[in-house]
Amino acid sequence: MTILERIRNGEDGILVIGNHAKIVQSILDFDYLSGKERPSVVGIIAGNRRAQKFFWGREEFLLPCFAKPALLPVELASRVRFMLNLQSGRRAFETAVSFFETFPKALGGHLFAENVPERHATELIKRYGGTKLIAGPSGVGLLVPKFLKLGAIGGIDAVQISEGRLTGAGSVAVVSTSGGMTNELIHGVARAGKELSFAISIGGDRFPIASLTDVLTLAQEDPATKALVYFGELGGEDEYEIAAMMKEKKFTKPLVAYIAGVIDEAFDEHMQFGHAKALVARQDESARAKRSALREAGAEAPDTFPEFLRAFTNLPGKEKRDTTISIEPLMNREKSILSTREIIDLEHAPTFIRGKKLAPAGAGAFVRATLAALLGKEPRSPVTSAFTEALFTLSLDHGGAVSGAVNTMITARAGKDLVSSLAAGLLTIGPRFGGAVNDAAKAWQKGVSEGKPASEFVESETKGGKLILGIGHLKYRVGLDDPRVKALSEFASLLKKHPHYDFARSVEKVTTAKNGNLILNVDGTIAALMLDILSECEGYSEAELAELADAEFFNALFVIPRSVGFIAHFMEQKRNDEGLFRLPENLLFVRKDKKKDR
Amino acid sequence: MPRVKLTEYEAKRLIIGDAYRGVSLRADAKTKIPAGKYVVKVDEGVKRRMKQGLVALNVAPADIGKTTAPWKKKGWTRFIAEPMVPHEEKDERYLSLERVREGLRMLYAREGGIEIETHPEKVERFSIANSADIARIAKTTGLPEPFLAHLVEIFDKDFFSFLEINPLIVNGERATPLDAAVLVDSAGAYFARGAWSEDDIVGGKAKHAAEERVAALQATTPASLKLSVVNPDGSLFFLLSGGGGSIVIADEAELAGVGSELGNYGEYSGGPTREETYLYAKEVLGLMLASKAKKKALVIAGGVANFTDIKSTFAGIIDALSEKADALRKANVKVFVRRGGPNEREGLAHMKEFLEREKLLGSIAGSEAVITEAVDEAIDFVKSAAV
Repeated sequence: MTILERIRNGEDGILVIGNHAKIVQSILDFDYLSGKERPSVVGIIAGNRRAQKFFWGREEFLLPCFAKPALLPVELASRVRFMLNLQSGRRAFETAVSFFETFPKALGGHLFAENVPERHATELIKRYGGTKLIAGPSGVGLLVPKFLKLGAIGGIDAVQISEGRLTGAGSVAVVSTSGGMTNELIHGVARAGKELSFAISIGGDRFPIASLTDVLTLAQEDPATKALVYFGELGGEDEYEIAAMMKEKKFTKPLVAYIAGVIDEAFDEHMQFGHAKALVARQDESARAKRSALREAGAEAPDTFPEFLRAFTNLPGKEKRDTTISIEPLMNREKSILSTREIIDLEHAPTFIRGKKLAPAGAGAFVRATLAALLGKEPRSPVTSAFTEALFTLSLDHGGAVSGAVNTMITARAGKDLVSSLAAGLLTIGPRFGGAVNDAAKAWQKGVSEGKPASEFVESETKGGKLILGIGHLKYRVGLDDPRVKALSEFASLLKKHPHYDFARSVEKVTTAKNGNLILNVDGTIAALMLDILSECEGYSEAELAELADAEFFNALFVIPRSVGFIAHFMEQKRNDEGLFRLPENLLFVRKDKKKDR
Repeated sequence: MPRVKLTEYEAKRLIIGDAYRGVSLRADAKTKIPAGKYVVKVDEGVKRRMKQGLVALNVAPADIGKTTAPWKKKGWTRFIAEPMVPHEEKDERYLSLERVREGLRMLYAREGGIEIETHPEKVERFSIANSADIARIAKTTGLPEPFLAHLVEIFDKDFFSFLEINPLIVNGERATPLDAAVLVDSAGAYFARGAWSEDDIVGGKAKHAAEERVAALQATTPASLKLSVVNPDGSLFFLLSGGGGSIVIADEAELAGVGSELGNYGEYSGGPTREETYLYAKEVLGLMLASKAKKKALVIAGGVANFTDIKSTFAGIIDALSEKADALRKANVKVFVRRGGPNEREGLAHMKEFLEREKLLGSIAGSEAVITEAVDEAIDFVKSAAV
């Protein structure tokens, strides 16, 4: 089966490399208007985001983004057939090679960049020429009406997709070096009452990866194609190859061609036109010489562009358009600016009272709802809820001496309101106070994934005097256990495996050998056990756990209960109302001012 | 992107390396030159320098100034002085390398100094894909293998597209390029990592201040902005878009017999912003107002764009037209438009409303019309006698 037939059989998965939102949206609109059930674009390679919003019809959806092709999940990777490379000339080669290394069975692609070096183009030809269908470098890509729009080809707004008849499959193939003229020809075919079998813009560079010969072979082998229209320019010798193919009967379908560039004759010297190849180096590369060669081989090659367009009407293929497509759904779409889901289902309020009695809400209903909101799904296991309940209870407050509580109280005493005082406390949370859970989680994940002995881990992590978060306490030490750690650690007995917890404990063994205060602290314990519980009881993968840590989920486990503690300290200060707090002078260490001494 | 030519000095410096004894001379700089006899040449990529008298042999350092003085008067600014290399004619060879679709193509002739186009029978062709090819070719031609391997390495590393050494002096294991020309791939500048730069490229220099300003603008945008002044007193001025579409429209003028009436040629494409389009259009309008032609038309035309936004690029053109509307009206200029693409309807509607209000409208059409319609009507307008 030829590549074109495979495309018409539905093999249309596109992986986009780089970003050009308008082009991507035009592909999705083309898919939608063609009546496809799902978008052909399966994802975008972009380093700085996880998803990008696009329209599918009128509805918005999130298209996933990945840092590199190898990171696509299997269900998406299995659909990938084409690369749409929108990178600049500096990155096009490297990213194209990486794509085809990841997807060796891909059918082809398009390189959009204008200034891909010749050496890179010839290298790509060496690797993929003849086996893959790759449009470019430069140009606007490949179009198989109704089935595949790979690039800006045919235009990027819905009106163009409709007027160019891009969603109706016909029998005229369009080939052009120039991207803009590809579109002009597509419109010309539509104006002549015909529809396309396929269209390709091979690009105006000196070494197009899919050569003119490749495309003519494709058109010859394609049962749907009955005729071909071609736009070429002065410069290069490709048209002689077409002529040769026609003479040798390797291409036998009707061909209408326009070779632009007689204007070159008006200049004193040969001029370099817009496309890299468009420069006459030898006499036989002139527009006139190439036209004659094509005519001689049996092609129709009119002198003027209007004549060229008129010749389309005589090409084989149906004249009538049988379907009209409505682009109405795609007009005046309004983009949302934030993505969200419903955190709480407002439609289904629970029953609190049944028959004048309290309805049983179940133990830990608030904690379960909190976890569901944070994780985006209900916790499956009672262990998860119970552990969260336990750590919430233990983290509620740690007395008035800790810095967050102090700030809350001082702010309350200054006469400020609840929210300001709470904020003063919350804003104190950071690497030295309360913010260690998240970093501890990252440390244990790193340790488990590296699989090195704890001693090595400690050595590399503490280089330059750095601390391991989750380790160490000012008061508790070996022989004087932190009772909270002891209580929480019991949860390990409910798990089959607890690699993070085990690792944290083995780190503790190493650190306490140096100093008895370097014990696994409550932050480190919460982090380790939460990782193990999410993994075993909720089925989280290492990658998903890393995402949670990146989003600071583990810090939320402290922020939520401690907010209650701060508010409690605020309430107490308001109840006592001792007036403005001022630090007694004798508690300040005042350095002597040298000027006053003189 | 296009192939561009390096100065002979830079070409040889890259090929020969530290052993190269040539000196680059600029019209505006004094250079100290060691004693000896020199060949002095104009180094601006001109062909057939010998015939044009742009080469002087056996020049002593003290006489170099005298030698180049008449060349400077003619406007040449770059020269090269190289120690004379005494050799026998029998040691002269022809060698060229070109990047082709399949890899590298080498042409070789045992006689140096010949015009290969006129002596195809003396030329041997080779295809180079790997080091085995190099060894085989060295054996067949008698060229020193290390020299050939070095050439191929430099050719790839420094993103050459074409290299011609004619003649190449071969004496046993020694190979000395006497005259060398190199075309580099301008798209490879970034990857060649400073091996050559813009300053080493000859020719193609802007002849007109407007061309220079557009080239400077081009250097700062991913869009494509090109301008060449053709006939400063032409009657047809163009704001064309698209590499291919612009040629089609200019062709139409040539076919109608008014090719010599073209004031400018060029294109804007690849999605320029409103501001970039404004700056570009301003240059074309400047040229147009300066033209002494009696009847002038502005053609704003191009194909049906794939992704260039018609509304915003037309807004840029209107910005430029508004500044000069009075002057354009006074000069009886009419504007002819044909353009299609994203946001075509809005763009055309704004343009039409503006041109009507300013009494500058010749005709206006969108993607329903043939691409050449605007230029055809502009030609009719400038050809018609009555003003």
